[in-house]
Amino acid sequence: MQSQAKRELLALYEEPDQAADAVERLHSAGFDDNDIEILSSTPYPEGAFGEGHTKHRLFAFPFAGAACGMAVGIAWIVGAQVSLPIITGGKPIVAVPAIIQILYEGTLLGAVLFTVLGVLFESRLPDGVGLYDDRISEGYIGISVMARERRMPDAQIALEEASPIDLLSKEGSLMHAPGTT
Amino acid sequence: MIAPEAAGLKLSLRPPYRPQALNISLNQAGIALLAALGLLGIVMYVVKLITAWGDRAEWAYPTVVLMFILSTATSAPLIAYASRMAKGYWALPLRRVAALYAAPSLLSFVLLIPIMASLPPLEGRSNLWFGFSAGAPFLTDALALSILLLTGMALLWFSAVPDLAGPPSRVRAMGRWQRLLYLNWTGTARQWKVLRAANLTLGAFYLMGYAFVHMLLSTDLGQSLLPGWRSGIFPVYSAVTGIQAGIAITLLTAALMRRFSPEAGRFLGDEQAAALGKILVAATLMWFYFFWSDFLLIWYARLPSEVAAMQVTVAITYILPFVLTAVLMFALPLGLLIFNKVRQSLSLIAGVSALIVVGILFDRIRFFVAPMANPSPFGHSMETLPAPYWPNALDILFMIGFIGLMFAVFVYAASRIPVLNGWEMRQGSMLRKERTFMKTHVLVIGKPD
Repeated sequence: MQSQAKRELLALYEEPDQAADAVERLHSAGFDDNDIEILSSTPYPEGAFGEGHTKHRLFAFPFAGAACGMAVGIAWIVGAQVSLPIITGGKPIVAVPAIIQILYEGTLLGAVLFTVLGVLFESRLPDGVGLYDDRISEGYIGISVMARERRMPDAQIALEEASPIDLLSKEGSLMHAPGTT
Repeated sequence: MIAPEAAGLKLSLRPPYRPQALNISLNQAGIALLAALGLLGIVMYVVKLITAWGDRAEWAYPTVVLMFILSTATSAPLIAYASRMAKGYWALPLRRVAALYAAPSLLSFVLLIPIMASLPPLEGRSNLWFGFSAGAPFLTDALALSILLLTGMALLWFSAVPDLAGPPSRVRAMGRWQRLLYLNWTGTARQWKVLRAANLTLGAFYLMGYAFVHMLLSTDLGQSLLPGWRSGIFPVYSAVTGIQAGIAITLLTAALMRRFSPEAGRFLGDEQAAALGKILVAATLMWFYFFWSDFLLIWYARLPSEVAAMQVTVAITYILPFVLTAVLMFALPLGLLIFNKVRQSLSLIAGVSALIVVGILFDRIRFFVAPMANPSPFGHSMETLPAPYWPNALDILFMIGFIGLMFAVFVYAASRIPVLNGWEMRQGSMLRKERTFMKTHVLVIGKPD
């Protein structure tokens, strides 16, 4: 069972090229993009380190919110018009052109609220990164690898070959560098 | 080539450049003045609440201030969104300045409530709501504005999180809810991607909300209270001239930042003026286009009720504010912005921007005072032209105080949140380099997304 448990390593690099080299070596060692996470204090263009396309579900939230908002809008306006039916200008009680602005408002409200919730949700979910180091916020680039115990030696070799300034595991620095957390 | 400020091209990535919030103190004369004006605004608001609740005419000039805020502070964040959408790197030092105006925009909601409470019933007057009885216009307008303000604040907050969160150890030491507020920020590639997507998505919703709020409020506080005023163009005019004033107030603020904030001043310069100046010229021309489209149709059709409404807002009753508007928002700005020298200098274009910001106040006076002060808003036409309703001392103090409060809230927000968007500027510094090309210098820009 011990070999099935997952562990994490975090390597810190001074230069982006070193981090890209580490990602390439990890790929060569058989690690896929799901095992690797890149941490930086500045957003690098997607793929700059050779990593794959990062997936998120944020764009699903506005659609879901818009659908809910529109449904509430329809319920609001149809309920109001039916409960107090006033014929205006000979038009139907629930005339589409007359209710568009209420539907627009409901749809927009739902889309905005769900987008905000989506950002919070996407941020709160476990991102696979347990290890961290404050030097990342000082401009160093972190490459985290999450893999089964038996693959750890391969990950360590790949990360070390790219010349990190430090290599961390849950137990502490594997390079005995000062100032690690 | 109008070069970017040199500091913006060589920002440090290790340690990363981290912008600071404004350092303000009441000992500074300008800040003390703003604080005093803000206090005056609060006092005048309370006085109005106590003495004029439900009296629509008394809320005519506060309505002008409401529409002024919606046309300046509330439209400014659109610049941050538009420049992100169009990948305009020239706007990097401006984006936070523009986004910070979401904070004073909140004041518009404070004004909206008593103003909406003073409106007469919908029955018997032209309106947008076709007999919809479940909360229109109070609830619908308040809800629309709150959506817009919520979106603006979310845009401001999310884009500021990487600059405010600090090192991961600080974020992880926070309580559960505070950590959520800081988006559990550690700087993973996924978080950066979600942040960029959120900025674009919410920006699009902000634009949709902005146009919608202008449509609702320009109708409910304007057209539907002045019988005979029926214009499909006016809501668009209101939104577009708001964008013109939003650009102007952003440029004006940028010039003040360059003058008074040593840190922001290193990054703000003629590059922003040159890029935004072109859009300002276009917006200035749009002022005339929409005014003329509206005017010509009514002038040619000669419907007495529509002509009377036009005489109120343009030709007779409020001719003085109209002339001032035409001069300050169109004639003078266009005459000046034609010259490259003016358009490409932040100091000079700030002067033109100041004219536009003053001009839009007169524009909102000519459009919203007459409807709000109109004693008989029912029916399809006016019997006689109403007399002008000029501001009394209380109204003038209210306008000065509340607009001062708007700027005071902006400055306070800028003292809590950095006035520069550090992470976007660092990324911009990575992707923009000045290079020698034959005998000249060119800017090489990378646009990866």
